[in-house]
Formats: sequence, C-alpha cells, structure tokens
Amino acid sequence: MSAPDHSPHATPDAASGTGARVPPAPRGLRQTMSDLHIWTGLLLGWFLFAMFLTGTVSYFKEELSQWMRPEIAHQADQPEAAVVAGRIAKTLETVAPGTTQWSLRLPDERHPIANAFWRVPPKDGAKRAFKDANFDPQTGLKVAARETPGGEFFYRFHFQFHYMPVAWGRWLAGLAAMFMLVAIVSGVITHKKIFTDFFTFRWGKGQRSWLDAHNALSVFGLPFHLMITYTGLVTLMTLYMPWPEMAGIESPAMKRQLTSEMNAFLQPAKPSGEAAPLASIEAMVREAERRWGPGSVARVTAANPGDAAARVAIARGEGGRLSMSPQYLLFDGVSGRVVEEKQGVGAAAETRGVMYGLHLGRFGDGATRWLYFLVSLAGTAMVGTGLVMWTVKRRQKLADPERPHLGFRIVERLNIAAIAGLPLAMAAMLWANRLLPLDLARRGEWEIHVVFIVWALALAHGVLRPPRRAWIELFALGAAALALLPVLNALTTDRPLWRSLAQGDWAFAGVELVGLAFAALLAGLARRVARHRLKGARPGRARAIGTPARPAADTAAAVEGAR
Amino acid sequence: MTHFASLLICVGAFAALAMATERAQQDVLERTLSRDATRALRIIGWALLLASLAIVVGAQGWGLGLVSYSGHTSVAAGLVFLGLIARQRRKG
Amino acid sequence: MNVTVSPTPSARRVGASSAGGLARLRAVLPLISRIVAAVGGGYALAALASVAVLVLPVSRIQAVIGGMLSSFAVYAAAVVWVFAVRSATRAWIGLLVAALPLLPLAWSVWHGAAPAVSP
Repeated sequence: MSAPDHSPHATPDAASGTGARVPPAPRGLRQTMSDLHIWTGLLLGWFLFAMFLTGTVSYFKEELSQWMRPEIAHQADQPEAAVVAGRIAKTLETVAPGTTQWSLRLPDERHPIANAFWRVPPKDGAKRAFKDANFDPQTGLKVAARETPGGEFFYRFHFQFHYMPVAWGRWLAGLAAMFMLVAIVSGVITHKKIFTDFFTFRWGKGQRSWLDAHNALSVFGLPFHLMITYTGLVTLMTLYMPWPEMAGIESPAMKRQLTSEMNAFLQPAKPSGEAAPLASIEAMVREAERRWGPGSVARVTAANPGDAAARVAIARGEGGRLSMSPQYLLFDGVSGRVVEEKQGVGAAAETRGVMYGLHLGRFGDGATRWLYFLVSLAGTAMVGTGLVMWTVKRRQKLADPERPHLGFRIVERLNIAAIAGLPLAMAAMLWANRLLPLDLARRGEWEIHVVFIVWALALAHGVLRPPRRAWIELFALGAAALALLPVLNALTTDRPLWRSLAQGDWAFAGVELVGLAFAALLAGLARRVARHRLKGARPGRARAIGTPARPAADTAAAVEGAR
Repeated sequence: MTHFASLLICVGAFAALAMATERAQQDVLERTLSRDATRALRIIGWALLLASLAIVVGAQGWGLGLVSYSGHTSVAAGLVFLGLIARQRRKG
Repeated sequence: MNVTVSPTPSARRVGASSAGGLARLRAVLPLISRIVAAVGGGYALAALASVAVLVLPVSRIQAVIGGMLSSFAVYAAAVVWVFAVRSATRAWIGLLVAALPLLPLAWSVWHGAAPAVSP
C-alpha cells in the first residue's frame, strides 16, 4: 500500500496488482477540497472565463460605445440636465405620439448622448413592445449614428450570453457563478496557509509555476473575486430564488412594495382618456436636483404622458453613492407637484442595493473604475491560468503523451478557443463596427454575428492545428487585430487617434490606446509560447479589449513567473 | 491624489511585510535579518496598511473608502510580488 | 471523493466485463450520490432556509429580500459540506438534519401564516 501522497493534486493510485482489492486510503479534507476545486473550476471554466473577460470589459462599456458610434461628435461639455430632459420630452411628443410610457436616460460624462425607449403597440401576440432611439442633448433631436449594440453587447453577454432565451442564459450564468463560489471556498480551504505563505511562492519552473501564478492571482484578488461572485448572484436573485417571494408576498400591493424596494419602476395606471398637456419636465428635474444635488438625476420615466392621469418619476443616478437602491420622486404629470418621494429602503433592501452597486461598480470615480478593471482582469487571468494548469498537470500523467484521452483533448482545445479565441472575437467586433456597410439591414445584429463567427473559426482553428501552433497563431492574430485598430479607425472615420488625443477625447483615444497595450500583451504571449518547448508550461491567459488600461503588470508577471 | 498616496503607502506596507519573510530576505539581501529587525518590519508593514486605510476612508467615507482600499491592497500586493519575481529573474 | 476512473485490477482478474462494469458502477455511485446531494439537495436546503427565514419577527418584505440574499451562502456551504464529509450517506444525513428544523417553519409560512410584523 503506497504512502499517502501529499501533493495537492495527486490522484489515488489504482490498487496494486497483487490480486487483493485494497480500498484507496481515505483522503484528507485538503485533498477532497482540492478535487472539488478542480472539478467546479473546470466543468464550467470556459463560461466563467468568458463571463470574466466580458465583465472586465464592461466596466468601460460606455467608452466602448462612444468609440463604436464615431458619428456622434465629442461633446466637450454637457448642457444642463434639466434643459436636456425638457428638450427630449418635447421631441418624444412627436417621435412617440400616444405612447403609454416612455423612459429617458439622461447623458453624463461617460455617456454623452441621451437614450430613450417607449412602449409601442405589440404585434404578433407579444406581450409588450418597445422602440428606442438616441438623442442629441444639445438639440433634443434624434441622433443619426450607425446601428450598433456598442459596449452593451459585452455587458449583456456577461450575464445572459447570446443566441438563447434570456432566462436560459441567466440560469447558465447563475450556475456558473455557483460553481465559482464553491471553487473559491474550496480553493481557500485547500490552501489554508495561503496568506502566511503569501510571499514565499516558489517561482520555479514548469508545473509548479503554473500553480504559483494561479495561486498568486487568486490571493491578490480574493476579496474582489468573492465579492464579485456573490454579488453577481444577488443581482439576479429574484430569478434564482423566487421562493421567499412566492411564499411570503400575499397581495399585489405587497408585491408592488417589494418591487419598489429594489427598482424605481413606474407602473403605468389606466389612462383616463382625457387629454392634458404634460407639465414641465425641466422643472421636475430641477426640483429633484434641488433635493439631491446637481447632476444627480439619471432617469425620467413618464406614464400616460399627455393624459390627465399622467405620472412622472425622476430617479436618482448611481454616481457617488454606493447603493443602487431606488431613490425617486414621483410627480403628478399634469400639475407637476410631488406626489410621492422614495427616500430610502429597508435594511435588507439597502444591503441588496449595496451589493448590486458593488458588482456594477458604477459608483466610483475614474480611479476606482480602473481598480475594478485591473483586479477583474486579474480574475480573468486567474480563471485562465487555472484552465491551462489542468492540462499542464494532466499532460504529465498521460499514459501516452502522443495520444491523450478524449477528455484531455477536449479541455486543451476548449482552452485555446476560450483563452486565445475570445479576445480575437471581441476585437473582430470592433473591426466589424468600422467595416460593415452603414446601410446593412440589421447591422447591429451582424456586428454580433461576426463575434461568434470569428469565435467559431477560432475553435475550428484550435481543433485542426497542433495545439501549440494554434495558441501562437490565435494570440498573434488577436495582437494584430488590436494593433491595427487605430489604422483602421483613421482610414474609416475622421477621428484618428492623434486628433482624439489633441482634443482631449480620452474615451475615444483610450479605446485605441488600451487596444495597443493589449496587442502588446497578446504578442508577448504568442512569443512566449513560441519560445517554449512543448513539454514545458504553455502560458495561456486573458485580457480585455479596447479600453484604457494599464493592464498586465500583474498578469504579465504571472506569465513571467510561469517560466 | 488620495488614490495615489494610498496605493503608494500600500506598496511600502507590502514591501515591508515581504521583507519580513525569510525567503525574501534571502533573495534580496542574501542573508536573514535579526528577529528584532524582522519584527520591526512586520510592525511597520501593518502600520502602513492601517495608515493607508485611514487616508482613503478619511477622503471617501467608509463605504467607498473600503472599496477603494481593497483595490489598492490587491494592486499593491501584486506589484510587490512582481517586484520580487523580477528581482529573482534578474539574479538568476 | 474516492473515485478512480481507471479499471480496477479486480475487473481484470475476474475477466468478465459485466462484473467489472458493475464494480465500476458501484465505485461511482457514492460520487453520483454526492453530486445529487450537492446540486439538488443543496439547492433545496437553500430554498427551504430562504423561506423559513420569513418566520422571523421582522418586516415581511425585508425578510423576503434577506432570505434571497443569504440563500447562496447556504447553498455554497451545503455543497462544501457534502464533499467534505467522509461518506455520501453522511452527506445526506447532514442535509436532512439541517432541513428538519426548517421544514415546519417553511411550511407555516407557505401555508399563509400572516406576517408577524407589518410588511
């Protein structure tokens, strides 16, 4: 009977071939937690990688959206929010006549145009239908910009994926998040001494280095990873755990109360049928700013505008406050008087609001946003190094390294498609944004199709080519795509990088500058893989695309340490 | 400005805590320090961590401050860790 | 999780594939049992706890939100427990022991006990 193996990822030997069937020795807690960690990390690891990468990018989704709508000129300064709201409300009277509800999001410095959606009569048996448009805050008129989902695509993909019903996507994301949560807890239990061992990692070579890189990235970001995973689950908790509501909410009135603790949602009442002009939206916004401070209003929602039963809700924005709990003022739409004020929510609701706010990170100033971005990027690298580490370890245990078993091959190829393929696919979206004809039907959807087409091609590439070559080639392609982005932009728009820099348009310039930084990163990774012999570690990693970042100080070094 | 100061102090804190470990002392100084020196480094490290927390909470309040702080500590720890690795690679 | 995927020597010794297959199945059964306990049982326990919380003498609405907020911690803890204990049987027993006091509480809430405190 062999002595118990203390290395964290050993598998028990099959019983020796003496003919006696010996049960394997009982495994300690650290060992079982290690197994649990590996399985929960691996089974949905590629989804988690994609969620982390798109989530990381989403912290700068507004800047990405600006870059993807180059027709909208750089707004050096914003007109007053109240004036903008009044202007656009006026436009909506002609753009959305007779609608029962419209909702307007006011511009801010990260998102310099206004966006409004409004209800239209549904067709084909749908329950509801909406139209939306972007508006110029200076004129209040509709803006003409190319049809593109902008950075919003990455944000939505992050929690509901694509090409599947929204509910399925969210369930899958939630399942992955639970796996992640268990992976974090089991990972901590396995490495109980990780804090004391913190600075004594063995930065040796080969397999040990991968473990160390993964450990380092996990430990640095542990508070963040735990927070982001748990709060992510909380953002969709009414979907994942509807039971308390089903058991405890006994009347529609209670349900409305519950909803108002979590959303600033204006329920449209039945219209009276009697027409009446909508009171001054500008005045309402000013009243809200009087109470909350200038620049605090984020959203104006009108129910039954133009009717005597009109109501208007002015909701507070998320900047400068940690909680995303609803805070709003409800006005009578005809008289313009305050009917109701939602100032605060109960303790549990406030906790949920803070958790929601922590996840989205919209409260922070620029520096805080960058911190979120960097640590989230480290989290992406953590997932990526974990996935690669699995193949590195297993490769040594293969009976015949030339013919690995199916499970190994699947993991290896999926790693390539996810870690090297996704960044390329995301860059492809930026290229499609510039290259797709402006009058193409459903252009916005096609930009998204391009992402998945390129991703599928990357998968095919990863399957058909020898793995090492596939890593190198896909990283190199991604690097090229990002490095050439400024060139592409200069050729296809009148906002080349040098002009954006001269104008101080940091959002626009930032997308390209960060793209360049990540191009350098991907190129570096490609070079490292090329320099390694197949037997050694294969650096695989992650990064985000196209937004201002001082990226991989930590991540590049994790790769460096993996030498 | 607050962010920068807090981050810088955190880097100093983690550098001190790192140097309080035997492994880092061997790598960087090529000898082990005395027990008193090690203890002093550890105290300095923790004190600097607290100072950084005080700065950022003072400027941003507890809610936002704690969030910023956890970002600073993560990034600072990462930087010190990288510094150690870089030094090691340059030596060998 | 004491599972090896490679065939055991006993399978080779016996030589009959069905007996070997049976032995392998029996080796995998505890793992499958644990997975069911973790994924299904854990969720059930979390759901149960999230409803049981509603008997607390606090605002009903806040209790509903609080129940949802804490449910994921219960789920994660249950999953870790299931794999930490020494056998699949113990895992199930542990889940049942945790569920037992919660069942009557959740039952009373579900079947319309009025909120102790106004919503």
